[in-house]
Amino acid sequence: MPRRRVFNPLTELLAAALLVVLVLVVNTWQFSLAVLVVVVVPGVLLSGKPRQIALAIAVAAGPLLISSFLLHGLFFPEGTTVLAEWGPARVTAEGLQFAALTGLRLAVFTGVLLTAALTVSIPELVSTLTHRGWNRRLVFVVGSAVGLLPHVAERARQITRAQQARGLVVGGSLPSRVRGLLMVSVPLVTGLLIDAAERTQLLESRGFSSPGPRTSYLPDTDTAGQRTARWLMAAGVLGFGCAWYAVGAGR
Amino acid sequence: MIRLECSSYAYDGGPVVLSGVDLAVEPGALVHVVGPSGSGKTTLARLLAGQTGAGSGAQFRGALTLGGDRLGFSGSPEDPRIDPAAWSSTVAYAAQRTEGQLSMMSATVAEEIAFGPANRGMPAGELRAAVQATAARLGLTDLLNRDPRRLSGGQLRRTIIAAAVVGNPRVLILDEPFQGLDAGSRAEVARTLEVLRAAGTALLICAPMLPGSAPQHSRVLALVSGRPVFDGTLAQAWTAGLERYAIGTEGSAPDVRRDPPQGCAAPVAASDVRQDSTGGPLTELAGVSFSYRREGTSGQAEVLRGVDLRVDPGDIVGLTGANGSGKSTLLQHLNGLLRASSGTVTVAGRLLGRRTATGRLAGAVGFLFQDTDQQLFERTVLREVAYGPTAAGAGREGAQERARTALAAVGLGHAAGEHPYELGFVERRLVAFASLIASEPSVWVLDEPTAGLDLRGRNRVGELLLGHAAAGGAVILATHDGAFADALCTRILELKDGRILSGGARRGADGA
Repeated sequence: MPRRRVFNPLTELLAAALLVVLVLVVNTWQFSLAVLVVVVVPGVLLSGKPRQIALAIAVAAGPLLISSFLLHGLFFPEGTTVLAEWGPARVTAEGLQFAALTGLRLAVFTGVLLTAALTVSIPELVSTLTHRGWNRRLVFVVGSAVGLLPHVAERARQITRAQQARGLVVGGSLPSRVRGLLMVSVPLVTGLLIDAAERTQLLESRGFSSPGPRTSYLPDTDTAGQRTARWLMAAGVLGFGCAWYAVGAGR
Repeated sequence: MIRLECSSYAYDGGPVVLSGVDLAVEPGALVHVVGPSGSGKTTLARLLAGQTGAGSGAQFRGALTLGGDRLGFSGSPEDPRIDPAAWSSTVAYAAQRTEGQLSMMSATVAEEIAFGPANRGMPAGELRAAVQATAARLGLTDLLNRDPRRLSGGQLRRTIIAAAVVGNPRVLILDEPFQGLDAGSRAEVARTLEVLRAAGTALLICAPMLPGSAPQHSRVLALVSGRPVFDGTLAQAWTAGLERYAIGTEGSAPDVRRDPPQGCAAPVAASDVRQDSTGGPLTELAGVSFSYRREGTSGQAEVLRGVDLRVDPGDIVGLTGANGSGKSTLLQHLNGLLRASSGTVTVAGRLLGRRTATGRLAGAVGFLFQDTDQQLFERTVLREVAYGPTAAGAGREGAQERARTALAAVGLGHAAGEHPYELGFVERRLVAFASLIASEPSVWVLDEPTAGLDLRGRNRVGELLLGHAAAGGAVILATHDGAFADALCTRILELKDGRILSGGARRGADGA
């Protein structure tokens, strides 16, 4: 079940980005943990696709988290409270604390941004950007994510099948898999370039470069209230950041 | 209303590909531009669509007249530039390949149709009304909320046509709109075009063959090597002997020589072949069922239901049936691209297991996909065709020798050094065919082998099939080309709802 949409995609993405900024500015493990528990975990659970998002977070943040714990946990030059020692490696309380802080921050970043990105309605976002009069080419870059990425994946799959039918044996050893990947990339990229050349002409003939205002088939789901809220949120975070640093510098 | 005078046209530094054309399209007219592969149809269509290629170094000498405005071109950099957006509001164009025809910015068919007018700033209310009206006119209302990238071939063509005509252009130019479509989808697209024509839109349709059914007074311009060779009504064209230019009529029987073409083994009477040393079938499906999980649900969709099929040496088995009847699914079981949910598949005496790699079967079963371009991936035609034998361990010299023989068999011996993508559609299709032949499989599995071919290509494929069967091989083809199947197949099986309906009386290898 997809989640029920409450806010405009632009509002959601801005809120996610501002939350990341706040975590960076405040930079304490308590705040990061609070954001993780109060915002990220419920957000993922209520997203309608918790398994997919959890997997994406694990793939994106997992290796970094592990390497951070190994690196800072075992080798932290500033660490003084030694908990265990094996030759040159020392587990220190300070190292673990530092690793926990960076790990928490990383978990919050990936959690917030991936949840926002994977649940946002791209067509609605494109429509909002069009209604707000954003640069057409930027909108196209965002919008083509709707169509192009799944299209590329499907095409790569079909090319692999065609090549297998021609005698390519995929799987088994790593070199064989790498070779398979390279064999797919040539027709894939060639095909996409040919498509792109044709699409350029199509876009031109459909008035993509026409001057003047554009409209969108999808209704504008953005509201004056949300627009005001976005400005207020951005101004609030900016003000809070400045105040936070000013107080920090004065201490 | 629109007129093209082309004294010569050449792509960047290349030879002249179109010359001596003077074509005017009047309101409400229906014009067929026919010609074999490489005859200049696409160039003509693009010129009428206002794509003079000035920015990419092409040289166009002639004139384009739209309404009362005549634009002269002398092949110089000072030539006028055409604003594609303004031109397309009067003259719409739907190109041959569908892949590049979607904006890729739309999640639904409705948004895709709305893309052009929205770019021109049509107010939201009018925009919705225009999309609804166009969809209703072309029978697309039920598809408006569908994802345009997940449509069948016919639905996709109609969506592209709808997106082109939503602004009510007066002329619609279509480059091979029926290519690769089955009979049902063809009929859908043909109905769509008929609706547009009835409403007064002039249509210009490019195709490799003359239409088998169309208004007899519609106009035909036949091109060969970039020059017009016939200009008259369709009724005249049917009897004008255009076959001498390799321009046939859709639905006509292929003209095949019964002796195998050069490069294939000597003919053997099919009846002798069946009593070969082992007496076993080349491939056999026994009680094969196949289902897959429906996207987003836990339900299963059953595509094949207990199919039995035995293919012996000398057989040419035709599979017919509507879209979605399971033809492609059945074919893909023969080389292991799909694995049966139940039942068994035997290839060359070996039972196909779950772990038999598809790539290892390429020497026994050759597969020709419907979409040629996804099969070609090498730098030269020779390397492309030699890929299969090389993968099978034939050694460089041996593989190239087999590749040259296969290229000669499809009539492309001269193209060995070229890049596959620089060839025309029919040649690319034949390159894919040659790469299948070069692996020397005993069973040929062909998905729509004649789709989009011109007369010469279709005849050539027919001869190759006969030669292969006569030499002791077997062919299984899914096709909508009824005349082709009738002329060549030893058996024709009809698939419906995943079952073989008719047993297909065995006929002589000569199709009698």
